[in-house]
Amino acid sequence: MAEITTKEKQELSKPQEQTRPGRYYVPDVNIYEFDDSLKLWAEMPGVKEKDLDVTLKDGVLTIIGKVATEMYAGLRPRYTEYNVGNYYREFALNESIDESRIKATLRNGVLELELPKKEQAKPKKIEVRST
Amino acid sequence: MAILGLDPDVDPIGALLSLQGELERFMRNPAFGTGLSGYGVFPPINIFDSTEGAVVVAEVPGLDASKIEVAGEGRTLTISGERTFAPDVSGRGYHRRELNEGKFSRSIQMPDDYDVSRAQARYEAGLLVVRIPVAERAKPRQIAVQSA
Repeated sequence: MAEITTKEKQELSKPQEQTRPGRYYVPDVNIYEFDDSLKLWAEMPGVKEKDLDVTLKDGVLTIIGKVATEMYAGLRPRYTEYNVGNYYREFALNESIDESRIKATLRNGVLELELPKKEQAKPKKIEVRST
Repeated sequence: MAILGLDPDVDPIGALLSLQGELERFMRNPAFGTGLSGYGVFPPINIFDSTEGAVVVAEVPGLDASKIEVAGEGRTLTISGERTFAPDVSGRGYHRRELNEGKFSRSIQMPDDYDVSRAQARYEAGLLVVRIPVAERAKPRQIAVQSA
């Protein structure tokens, strides 16, 4: 199996400015498509469940994670390789998603989102009859 | 100088801003040598001083605590493991695939003042936090003054 290399965390650059100052990062994601759902995983190390906000409105999925800073109280940095900040990412969803059945779990700093497709968006198999 | 002079509960934004500024100041601090495996090797780390010793924080999201190995030998701290991501999706169509998978191993040389063999590790919210106490020999000692 391949070795993992470190990717530089990507800072958010948005046309609009955030009203709150500070750095925002774009979480890396995997998105897979299944017959009846989309599944998304987003890396958000340092985010706890209570500080996570996922919304779907007008076909736009917004993920916001606020990074916990309490653990740094009393610590003085000596050597650093990454900075910390809140996470923010938006996706326009093409599929029509059944909002009422969206499931979100946050485990070990990774958000797992299950986005079930609406009935009419699922592929339908059309039977071909021979005459 | 504590980096969080502000109580994070009272002013979370101020606390985060001051933390970000402090982390930026020590970015790849050349005065602190980490040995052979420097920046670019997974996982990325930050090293702090606390009242008890050093604290190494690594961003390694998406692992089970049982899949991470932390070893201390001499001055060397080694963090290794393997991340396999959702193995049940193989063969599925994907829209985005940005997360890294595979094995990793990183060794860090700590300064001589720390007792790496007594390090303690904890994994929470995708962060590995390793606390390394100051070595007994490096602790300040009171020297009794005898009168002649």
